[in-house]
Amino acid sequence: MVSSVMGAALLVATGPLILDTYSVSILVRAFLYALAALTVDVLWGYTGILTFGQAAYFGIGAYAAALIFTHVGFDWSTILLAAGLAIVAPALAGLVVGWLSFYPGSTPLYASVVSLAFPIVVTQMIFSGGTFSGSSSGLVGYEVFDLSIEAWFRIVGGVLLLAAGAAYMFVNSEMGRLLVAIRDNEMRCAYLGIDAPRVKILLTAALATIAGLAGFGYANFSGVVAPEIAGFVFGTELVIYVALGGRGTLVGPLAGTVLIDTASSYLSGDLPYVWQLIVGLVFIVVIVALPNGFTPLFSRLWRAIIGRRGRPRHLAVVLESPRMDAATTTATLEIVGVAKSFGSLKVLQDITLSVVDGELVSLVGPNGAGKTTLLRCISDGRERSSGTVRVNGEDIQGLPPNRVARLGLGRKFQTAAVFESLTVAECLRIAGVLRYRPSLTRPLHVLHLPEAARAVVETTGLVNVLSRQARLLPHGQKQALELAMVLALEPKIVLLDEPTAGLTSAERRRIGHILTELASRHRLAVILVEHDLDFVREISSRVVVLHQGRILLDGPVDEVVGSRLIRDIYAGSSHD
Amino acid sequence: MTLLLDVVTTAGVLFTVAMGLLVVFGVLKIINFAHGAFLTVGGYAALVTTKFGVSAWLAWPLAFASGGVLGVVVERLVVRPLYARPLDAILATWGLGIVISQVITLWFGREVQFAQSPLSGTVAILGDTYSLYRLTLLGVSVGLGLIFAGLIEGTRLGLAARAVIMNEDLARGLGIDTRRVRLLTFVIGCGLAALAGALITPLSSVDPNMGVPWLINAFMLVMVAGASFFSLALASLILGGAQVVVSTFVSPILGGMTIVLFAAVVLRLRPAGFGRD
Repeated sequence: MVSSVMGAALLVATGPLILDTYSVSILVRAFLYALAALTVDVLWGYTGILTFGQAAYFGIGAYAAALIFTHVGFDWSTILLAAGLAIVAPALAGLVVGWLSFYPGSTPLYASVVSLAFPIVVTQMIFSGGTFSGSSSGLVGYEVFDLSIEAWFRIVGGVLLLAAGAAYMFVNSEMGRLLVAIRDNEMRCAYLGIDAPRVKILLTAALATIAGLAGFGYANFSGVVAPEIAGFVFGTELVIYVALGGRGTLVGPLAGTVLIDTASSYLSGDLPYVWQLIVGLVFIVVIVALPNGFTPLFSRLWRAIIGRRGRPRHLAVVLESPRMDAATTTATLEIVGVAKSFGSLKVLQDITLSVVDGELVSLVGPNGAGKTTLLRCISDGRERSSGTVRVNGEDIQGLPPNRVARLGLGRKFQTAAVFESLTVAECLRIAGVLRYRPSLTRPLHVLHLPEAARAVVETTGLVNVLSRQARLLPHGQKQALELAMVLALEPKIVLLDEPTAGLTSAERRRIGHILTELASRHRLAVILVEHDLDFVREISSRVVVLHQGRILLDGPVDEVVGSRLIRDIYAGSSHD
Repeated sequence: MTLLLDVVTTAGVLFTVAMGLLVVFGVLKIINFAHGAFLTVGGYAALVTTKFGVSAWLAWPLAFASGGVLGVVVERLVVRPLYARPLDAILATWGLGIVISQVITLWFGREVQFAQSPLSGTVAILGDTYSLYRLTLLGVSVGLGLIFAGLIEGTRLGLAARAVIMNEDLARGLGIDTRRVRLLTFVIGCGLAALAGALITPLSSVDPNMGVPWLINAFMLVMVAGASFFSLALASLILGGAQVVVSTFVSPILGGMTIVLFAAVVLRLRPAGFGRD
């Protein structure tokens, strides 16, 4: 890593001495494009947002400079003004685009639609600006910095290296892992209290400024701006560079942009259409057969040649119990008259229930009784049709899941929802994002886990596989990991939807023990959906029977489990 | 009156252009970004009929056939591996669009050319004169819409296609040849795209990138329409109408982005667009 950075820096410093002026000038432009491609990679490769819109921010930054130098003049004050505008205008545009693109429940496709619409709107605005914006012929002949082409090469090359370094630090930081977590499972993020749309909006705005600065450099270097640099065709070219180089690798997109753009400059003179044809064909082949681009291929090849296996990155994760905060607050969950219907179908009716800390309440009932729906109504304020839910005294009204989670409520899903591409430690770290702000620069090195989560991690053997990718875990450990993640949120109330489904009986006993500990020792309020009545009898302090959307029974374990009614329901002979 | 005719005929053109994309998106749930290139193929099919001096009416079947044949090749080689990766399918088909337009450039040259129109002149309608071709096109688009809506929504192929989307394994278990259904659907979509390209050539010139501006509008309309022909017609009428009104009364340049902007806002407020939830 260090050697490649040194090598790149050396190239930037000595490049102008070796290369002729034409090549240097082509490379400067390619560097500026690469800066924009870098933002595409962070958005698409790491966060999973396929964007065609980065060209528009590039164009806005370029036009900010060209417009001010053309209409206001060129001196230090206007340079500052133009640079400021090239940062602020793309950022504002990024906020608007982000706000449009990302909201709870928005689809990746919709974000791509907006990213496609945005450059079209920007180019149409340039067209409609008449002589002010130069319309279709663009702006040319404004005064720019009087710098030699070699100086440009070193400045832009240096900025690109700095940006690449910063991006490398960022994507490997805790915040960078959060982006991957959002890509992997946005819903899990929401139920961990993370406002994923907000993170994506801010990321869009921040990356817009970088693309805007690249455009500012372009306008100054080339001395000409045209509507094409803001258009969606340029936006798709950036995506092509990133895809060919290798999405999610940073190095690949940089190399891809510089190589392809340079080659285009040389070859488009001799073989104008054939060259584009080749790029198009290679692009198709890469998307179909090599979705991660050429970088992984080359690095595998490189390792095969020099005979060195890539060492798995050693993660020195320290488990650390957090500072003891006085856990004086008591947990209360109050559900009053909750109902849920889909059209005329009533799934839940008149549910009234309250649970306090130290209780382990099992929710039982046949399939379709409304158990999971009830959990959803408790954890998402927008779900129920009527009634009130109060979490620790707060009415959850129309709150989205991430806000309900912040009130101290954790929910584990029926099928283990973990962040597949993150390591176990990183999954747990992301779960603690609410309590410890993720660092923007440093990778994960210390993992703070509250008592309960730590107990799960230690008793289920997760502690030995902290640096293994979550998708490689066996089913039982995935379930345990998700439970630990929910507990890392330090909730006062925990909802668990069949946490033992598909586990072996040994694992089941272990989880059962952990759950009783949660209630009795850690004083949580635990609500559990469970089918296995023997298991329920063993661990619960109270049992609630749900049948056809209503609460039939609510009482101590022996009373309920032994009742005739419950046997009837499970035997299917109830005729009410 | 002319404004009203402009609105309905523009809606007809937009509907025709978007129909192929709708078939592919509605059934296969992927977006064919080579749609613009298929429109171009149809445009050149019309040009070929002009060059050989045969009847301009032949352009329509020729376009549909060439689009369909190309569709077979494309589905086999490019689209088939990508049904499970819809975002990648957008990219690969965009690359395909580049390839097709470069091949056309190498073959026919990059200059702007004109194909002859099967119909010309104007008709008097309610005291105004109006382009006969635009009116014919409106009729053709309604006819095509009815035929293909019937095909997709009312026949065994349509039923099988929807079954494949809902549950591919189950559909296969029921004896449906899922590969063939997908292939056929894609081919129909490509054929329709090329046919639309031939239909619009009398209104616009023919050049290797003629399809791209249409692609974006068609894409936006399909996003708003979801999967039904009826909502596509509605979307074409409303968004196309807005485009005509803005172009006429404000500025043609702003008119050019009306559909895009309108569609993005509609989808933000109502993710299902004009379709049912």
